[in-house]
Amino acid sequence: MDFDALVLSRLQFAFTLAFHIIFPAFTIGLASFLMVLEGLWLATKNAAFRNLYLFWIKIFALSFGMGVVSGVVMSYQFGTNWSVFSNVAAPVIGPLLAFEVLTAFFLEASFLGVMLFGWRKVGPGLHFAATLLVALGTLTSAFWIISANSWMQHPTGYVRLPSGALRATDWMAVIFSPTFPYRFVHMVLAAYLSTALVVGAASAWRLLRDPEEEESCLALKMAIGMFAIVAPLQLVVGDLSGKQLLSVQPAKLAAIEAFWESRSEQPFHIAAWPDRAQETNHLSIEAPELGSWIAAGNAHAFIRGLKAFPREDRPPVFIVFWAFRIMVGLGLLMIGLGFWGAYLASRGAPERHRLFLRACVLMGPAGFVSVIAGWVVAEVGRQPYTIYGVLRTAQSVSPVSAGQVSISLLAFMVTYAIIFCVGGLYILRLIAEGAHPTAAADTEPLRHGRPPGYALAAAPDEPEPVP
Amino acid sequence: MRSFIIEPPPEPGAPAGPLWIRLAWFAALALGSAAATAALAYLLKALLR
Repeated sequence: MDFDALVLSRLQFAFTLAFHIIFPAFTIGLASFLMVLEGLWLATKNAAFRNLYLFWIKIFALSFGMGVVSGVVMSYQFGTNWSVFSNVAAPVIGPLLAFEVLTAFFLEASFLGVMLFGWRKVGPGLHFAATLLVALGTLTSAFWIISANSWMQHPTGYVRLPSGALRATDWMAVIFSPTFPYRFVHMVLAAYLSTALVVGAASAWRLLRDPEEEESCLALKMAIGMFAIVAPLQLVVGDLSGKQLLSVQPAKLAAIEAFWESRSEQPFHIAAWPDRAQETNHLSIEAPELGSWIAAGNAHAFIRGLKAFPREDRPPVFIVFWAFRIMVGLGLLMIGLGFWGAYLASRGAPERHRLFLRACVLMGPAGFVSVIAGWVVAEVGRQPYTIYGVLRTAQSVSPVSAGQVSISLLAFMVTYAIIFCVGGLYILRLIAEGAHPTAAADTEPLRHGRPPGYALAAAPDEPEPVP
Repeated sequence: MRSFIIEPPPEPGAPAGPLWIRLAWFAALALGSAAATAALAYLLKALLR
């Protein structure tokens, strides 16, 4: 492979996107989690919900900031590395991204200020309204970004002008392109699941040290509920999204399943070593007919293989095939964790089961790995196009030299290594502290004018008279 | 980031201030945050020109 400007630009975009996507996925889930915690605190007055809120809002604020910083870099790359794509697609994609900033980002940024600095100033009701608006903002942000990406996956509602630029003719068809509904739900559920896994891992980590910690017990049970309900639901939505590929992106489907031949009763390749040059799979472990059943809902369905597409129109099969298996494999583990947790919860106290707690800690990063693997399937599977069937990736890149892109890629790698290592480690340190009551002690009123940590904090001002 | 930066909730049973003052704080904090975001965006734009 020649490391020309195209390959380096793709590497740079993939590198920055892989870092960026972790934070929006986390903040989408965390904002809704905070909304639920605050709502439950208002409804029940259980201080554990308040302590959990005060704990997770710190992590939310940090993750939100890191998401913004890494997101700005993504936008600039459209101009620096993908200027031809921007020139062609801006009349369609540009308004979608502008709506994301105006309707979602400003909503989040505005009311985050109330969330962080205004609880006593505005009172509980208005503060809850601010939390709700921030959660709505994160979902709105996901709506516009997935809308833009879904249009790139399967463009509808546009015409191509003689100049080569695209122009929208039907905005509803652009915003709600056919793959959008399933992909939007799939992404939001992935965000909820990723957050639940982090909340579960953080709670389990604390419970391994102190099984009596009320906040961690509560958060663990909430996380188990999410694993048990959302993980199976995600499998169903993912399956529906995958079945849609049969009609909208058949080459991507063939790459996901490593189908080379067009035939009915396609096998399902559990594992294989796809060979693009020889157009075959090595060391394949397969289940007969299951491929057709999974991809089309019918074991006898005829499905086109990669050989049905010209070589220059085929996506890189090895990466797509394995990224899909990593995503689905981790998804199945999440379902297993959910059922295990639900079983333990039905029998009593999952917080007492140390093996389960260790499994929860191990599965903490699994949601983010799945999200990144899912985006690899979506983006690499769309190759060799940036806008499927309309604009090839090779035609989208800016007229820049490999040397220029190498310098920016190196700069990103060094900068990201420093910023995200420091930020990530700080978040992990905060998570390790936990939402234990001593963390909330700062919020308690001073007793006799002395801080809670003071040795004689509870002593009366005047010594009691000696009888 | 310590909890003293993030404002904790009011004490249980603490009297709520007048509604108009709370609404004014709500609007001021939201508009202030939006203005800070916009200022940062314009600063970035100016720096990159």
